[in-house]
Amino acid sequence: MTEENEIKLIRTACPAHCGIDACGILAHVKGGRIIKLEPAEFPDKRDRRICLRGLSSLDITYHPDRLKYPMKRVGERGEGKFERISWDEAYEIIVRKFKEIADKYGWRSIGWVLGGPGAGTTKFGAYLRIASLTQSTRVSAWGYGDAGLPCGSRVIFGSQFPYMYLFGKFWQKKWPELLVVWGANPGESMPLQTMRKIMDAKENGTQVIVIDTRFTVTASKADEFLGLKPGTDSSLALGLMNVIFQNELHNIDFIREHTNGPYLVRGDNGKLLRGRDIGNKKTDSYIIWEETSNSPQPVRRKNLQSASITGNFEVNGIECKPSFQLLKDLAQKYPPETVAEITGVDSKLIIKLSKKLGTTKNVTFFTYMGFTRTYHGDISLRGLCSVASVTGHVDTSFSSGYLPAVLNWDPFLKAIPNEPSFHRLGILNLYEAVISGKPYPIKALWFAFINFLNQCVDYNKIINDFYPKLDLIVQTELFMTPSARYADLLLPVCSFLEFSDFVSHPYPYVQLQQKIIEPLYESKSDINIVAGLAEKLGYGGYFNGGEEGMIDIIMNHSSLEGYNRETLSKGAMLLRELPEGGNFPLNFRTPSRKIELYAEQLVEDGQALPVYLPPIEAPITPEETKYPLTFIQGHSRFRTHSMFSNVKSLLELNSEPIVEINSIDAKARDISDNELVTVFNDRARTTLKARISDSVRPGVVNITEGWWIDQFKEGSVNHLTHDIINPVQNKIYEPNMHMNDVAVEIIKFVEGK
Amino acid sequence: MNKRLGLVIDQERCIGCEACTVACKIENNSTSHWIQVETLNVTQKDTPSGKFPDLKMEWLPRLCNHCSNPPCVGVCPNEALVKREDGPVVLIEENCDGCQACLNACPYNVIHFNEQNNIIEKCHLCVHRIDKGLEPFCVICCEGQAIYFGDLNDPNSVVSLKIASREAFQLKSEAGTNPSIYYCPPKPRRRL
Repeated sequence: MTEENEIKLIRTACPAHCGIDACGILAHVKGGRIIKLEPAEFPDKRDRRICLRGLSSLDITYHPDRLKYPMKRVGERGEGKFERISWDEAYEIIVRKFKEIADKYGWRSIGWVLGGPGAGTTKFGAYLRIASLTQSTRVSAWGYGDAGLPCGSRVIFGSQFPYMYLFGKFWQKKWPELLVVWGANPGESMPLQTMRKIMDAKENGTQVIVIDTRFTVTASKADEFLGLKPGTDSSLALGLMNVIFQNELHNIDFIREHTNGPYLVRGDNGKLLRGRDIGNKKTDSYIIWEETSNSPQPVRRKNLQSASITGNFEVNGIECKPSFQLLKDLAQKYPPETVAEITGVDSKLIIKLSKKLGTTKNVTFFTYMGFTRTYHGDISLRGLCSVASVTGHVDTSFSSGYLPAVLNWDPFLKAIPNEPSFHRLGILNLYEAVISGKPYPIKALWFAFINFLNQCVDYNKIINDFYPKLDLIVQTELFMTPSARYADLLLPVCSFLEFSDFVSHPYPYVQLQQKIIEPLYESKSDINIVAGLAEKLGYGGYFNGGEEGMIDIIMNHSSLEGYNRETLSKGAMLLRELPEGGNFPLNFRTPSRKIELYAEQLVEDGQALPVYLPPIEAPITPEETKYPLTFIQGHSRFRTHSMFSNVKSLLELNSEPIVEINSIDAKARDISDNELVTVFNDRARTTLKARISDSVRPGVVNITEGWWIDQFKEGSVNHLTHDIINPVQNKIYEPNMHMNDVAVEIIKFVEGK
Repeated sequence: MNKRLGLVIDQERCIGCEACTVACKIENNSTSHWIQVETLNVTQKDTPSGKFPDLKMEWLPRLCNHCSNPPCVGVCPNEALVKREDGPVVLIEENCDGCQACLNACPYNVIHFNEQNNIIEKCHLCVHRIDKGLEPFCVICCEGQAIYFGDLNDPNSVVSLKIASREAFQLKSEAGTNPSIYYCPPKPRRRL
């Protein structure tokens, strides 16, 4: 065979934003062109995986619409008129503008808006590094749907994510007797790393419960489905706890040992009682009521198991209750019948599930980001975690399994030790910074791997109030997306098959995303684009070695000793196994170092307990409102957010946006299947075809997110959404966009109206 | 005894994702979808049957059944369709004149007409792969790990064991075609 006809096989990993699925991909290359992709092997054959999007990746790499060279805008923003320029010219313009803005407003007025990097790492790291070096502003993308979960998790577990406590063991393929999937649809959003395991568990005898507002792919595999109204999850959690407490099914030992349930709370101000309040020399110590001595005592490891978790005590004239008693008092107000009314879930099911949770030894709860995309999504998560905690179904240590990879983020987060690094703004805080200059003005934005206008809330606000305030918009993109049209400078980025990165997924593996072919046209990887800019700004030395150099930096951590580009080029590598007899404690980094059933930091906000607060827009009493339907945005298996929206092989199977509406709501509005309808509220109108489907409950309509704006007849999903900030989330971490807490009405479409 | 290669598709594990559909089309560079995933008991794909919240959603991937008695082979006037000894029903492209007699003869509606080349096209069980000892492409790309490949004549093969343990069924068994594609029905729900 001549070299031209030889087929080379190169292994890489798909970093699409499904993130943790991180399929290993084997590329077949012939004469410099990739001719085929297939699922690559993993050490465990059962872990070999690919999805319909990954299979379609060549349709992205070889898409005729790829942006081919750097361009500068020549028409109005949004008009889509651009002119080809060289990379040097592009850098020259950017550096000149950056310096002008920095001279006038300071470097912090230049911001980097980064999407989620998916399973990628250094492409994200490279931007953090340049932001750190220039002390400009990193705009965090958690808030575009993914900040609610960290807010809740930080409060109750003291951790960015609740996953390892809730289902870390599940990922180690330890199947529970009962699995509760709450507000998540891994059947479409995480089919490989999660849904497969759910089906494996089911085959091995696990009973699967799905709680959701939609009857999803995941729900179709459930033994029981609880269909609740959007945004009412925390009332369901309280209802479950009501029955659990009534029947004394809570796990007292676990509550004493691992939660702050025994800690006494002052009746007068809601604060936790401390040593200083009772004249104890351990002034900061939390106080429990010790049953053996029948007296208040500073909490110690030894007296925990004799702590009262219920009751009413007087200490130094202060009325006090253990915080668990307060949770119990709150749950008391949510009997199953009341909760059935709020949530729409049959009270008999609530009672049955509660009893099952309280009497089953081994229960795993599963949820993900989508669960928390309502205004009080952080409390929804705390409700779920509270149910898991009071029944003892939270893991506090691992005794087997694989130790997670820790990445060396420091050089990216803080490029120069002992020097200040970047400023940080949440993406919803960015709206205000750009529009009102608070807390400081932002004048230039660089967008990378984010289709901002398409995917972020309140389209009209972005167009009318946000973009016009910016002196410079730079975007790296593969295609002329709705957002790209608004860029002043458009830089062609390459697809994942054209650059290298380190991928620390899927658990329990790490992989190398290995460059298969050279970047097509004049495109470059984000890493090399940043490296080129850094060179012009005088920071070139921080990006030596380009992609490979960045990978070597991020892998430079003791947890990854023995793993490197060379060893990973051959295949996925298993993480290090926890030694036999080893015990890996899962600490809680809350103020009390316990699971905080009671969050002292939120007393003033009235949210110390996982209270039920109604959604901000989603109508709980539809008959009283102008917009009686709740609009939500599920995920589609045909796209990863807005990626793959323009791919032929997938459009053949799913050609255009549809709005799913329940048969009852459709009938009331005389809407028939496939008919054009307009979804609207005070913010905007969106027109598309209707799909009558009982997959959504009455009162709920669903349009899967990610369709590009120009694929709608009019409007888009984010024409309808709002940018309301939840102040508690703003205080705890950063505010989330509440994409599933939006009120709308639907009518038949009328031409010209 | 000859092999009888076939598939078992487990509806309990099928999540209706259509990765098989996409994988097949790419692997075989076909003009139509040789595997089509039907959502059962409804007119629109990916919608459930029933009323909220008492719902059901089940999928059935349809493809050439590689019948033991394939009607398509019998009606082809040009001997373009051949039943191989090891099971797959394959097309000899140069013999096909596009008459489409097979399309009408097939009880399963899984033979497609390729207008570009004026020939028919259909699933051939990835003979180019299985002849090299590989599994059909849909099998390795199935997200739910719901498709099993093997020799139905071997009682110890993964497919035979699945059939024996799961009340597997063939489509339109009354047609006398004896398909080599079997389906395992979803398991009953264990309600709370």
